Amino acid sequence: MDKIAQTFDRLKAKNEIGLMTHVVIGYPNLKTTAAIVEAMVEAGTDMIELQMPFSDPTADGPTITKANQIALDNGVKMRDCMEMMGRLNEKFNIPFLFMGYFNLIFNYGYGRGNSYGVAKFCRDAIDAGASGLIVPDIPPDEAQEGYLDACQQNNLHPISVISPNISDVRLHKIAKVASGFVYCTSRTGTTGRPEAIEFDWLNTFLTKAKQYIPVPLAVGFSLSKREHLERLRGYADVAVVGSYMIQLFDREGIDGVRRTVRLLKG
Amino acid sequence: MNPKMITTMPDERGHFGEFGGRYVPEMLAPALDELAEAYEKWKNDEQFQQELNDLYRNYSGRPTPLYFAGNLSKQLGGAKIYLKQEGLGQTGAHKINHALGQALLAQKMGKQRIIAETGAGQHGLATATVAAKFGFDCTIYMGEVDVKRQATNVFWMRQLGAKVEVVTEGTKTLKDAVNAALKDWMWNVATTYFLLGSTVGPHPYPTIVRDFQSIVGVETKQQILEQEGRLPDYMIACVGGGSNSMGFFNAFLDETGVQLIGVEAGGKGIIPGGHAARFQGGRLGVVEGYKSYFLQDDDGQVMKTHSVSAGLDYAGVGPQLAYLQQQKRVQFVYATDNEVIEAFRRLARTEGILPALESAHAVAHAIKLAGQLPQDKIIAVNLSGRGDKDIFIVADYLNDQYWKDFCARYSEYGLSGEYDG
Repeated sequence: MDKIAQTFDRLKAKNEIGLMTHVVIGYPNLKTTAAIVEAMVEAGTDMIELQMPFSDPTADGPTITKANQIALDNGVKMRDCMEMMGRLNEKFNIPFLFMGYFNLIFNYGYGRGNSYGVAKFCRDAIDAGASGLIVPDIPPDEAQEGYLDACQQNNLHPISVISPNISDVRLHKIAKVASGFVYCTSRTGTTGRPEAIEFDWLNTFLTKAKQYIPVPLAVGFSLSKREHLERLRGYADVAVVGSYMIQLFDREGIDGVRRTVRLLKG
Repeated sequence: MNPKMITTMPDERGHFGEFGGRYVPEMLAPALDELAEAYEKWKNDEQFQQELNDLYRNYSGRPTPLYFAGNLSKQLGGAKIYLKQEGLGQTGAHKINHALGQALLAQKMGKQRIIAETGAGQHGLATATVAAKFGFDCTIYMGEVDVKRQATNVFWMRQLGAKVEVVTEGTKTLKDAVNAALKDWMWNVATTYFLLGSTVGPHPYPTIVRDFQSIVGVETKQQILEQEGRLPDYMIACVGGGSNSMGFFNAFLDETGVQLIGVEAGGKGIIPGGHAARFQGGRLGVVEGYKSYFLQDDDGQVMKTHSVSAGLDYAGVGPQLAYLQQQKRVQFVYATDNEVIEAFRRLARTEGILPALESAHAVAHAIKLAGQLPQDKIIAVNLSGRGDKDIFIVADYLNDQYWKDFCARYSEYGLSGEYDG
């Protein structure tokens, strides 16, 4: 059984809501990214998304956008992202997912050997031990890019990202290709910003989504407190804390990240 | 190539061959569906067309003239050069065409707020203008680099009542302004119309902008037939995202006897980071919601671009133009900054016309081409905008001492008695 399925089974047996945290590879530098991940794992996070830095992160708010830029300014390449994924999987047994924008995958490996692109990326990602991919700008309409097929052939979960404003028709479409879990944003907008989340409205949507979607649901965007996780219990299987982790690191360093992951896990 | 294929483009998912499409976060899907649906509903509506034509004519000043540049043609000694004078319309550039069309669409859709990105500021200016006219709340996103080099347009946008948000992320130019506007849209997707300013972005934008701009080519066709009794041999337009070129070319795509030429920004020459010529060293990619050619590094990171003209300083190119290049229907060349400034000065002195630096790229290529052609050939150039906005850039480029002195005195004393020049 794959690591993601194992994680959800374990969470279910303990009746726990899971926690997925997030780092940008190379922020503030490669060495510290690895140290942040180590602290998160020690403190009990269930999964981690490793974001591959991109020049044009359209779905991200200011915090993660800036982290992307700093990582790129540090000279972080896709090669470094693959190496990081490999090293972390040798060291830790939780699921790691690659998060990033489609152009990085579409052009992966260009200029190195004859073949490049989606299939090559998926092969290298599974070799490095990745459990899944979170790519916000490849909705089901453009599935013909070979993305879903390449994921399937390589046993990588292509994690769909949805938002509560989705139409029933499109929800059906996503349900058909859902694999591993589905990532639902808590609202529209970009990542970050400590907005008050309308939990009643969100949970009503999650209840509806569950009827369609045969895999677990993760919820992210603007989550930062244990209380948020409690509110989602029974509606979502995993809570995602992204921008807040970077803000924490900036303010309180790795110790702050470790302490907060412990608090979030309760 | 089957010409019919071109006129019926794109397919229903917004693909021009392998280009285009809609690569956006799922949360934007409802808004793009709503937009595509509204556009399908209104585009052939008779009253909508009447209202738009009235705006084109009485608000913007269409049709714009097609002017025979006799002096320039004579000086070059070759083909006859005609200039489509888009710079004579309201706001001084072709951007007003799609701004009016989209504002009318936004009104029909019941939106109260419009947002837009801008590079040179001409699209921002056109958007701020239509927002004032239609009574929309308006925010314009503009990269910090462009804000600095196009300060006059920033000032005018604010006078028109728009809020100008300075974008300090990434390369601080047009692509980053597009990203910032997309992000605003994600937050305000229910109330806001994103008035995109070029034939780029996710479907249906490349189609909507092209269609509202196609009036330029339709008029040109009629005017050249009136003046010459035949179609031109060559049509030349500058290409940033593609709004003026697609508007100019669209009515001629099936006229295979007319050679269509797009001129990209060659900047300081074709060196990495020194230009914005996507067909010189660009590669297929998926960025900002569409698939096309982008200037990018081996990893797929979008590269810094450079052009003397802010409006062409963009790493991507409209998907339909990428398709037309692949099908060899449109030929792409480039003009360097030096050639562009030279063309600007030449047109000013021979014809008394100050072209926008964007449009001066097209003029530069026409100058190169005309002399090589016999006198019975005809070239039509889209002069997409006028050059008033470029006063600081041109003066700086020419290192003009008079202007530098004026600016120094002005910043010290304003327009008080100290200044007598």
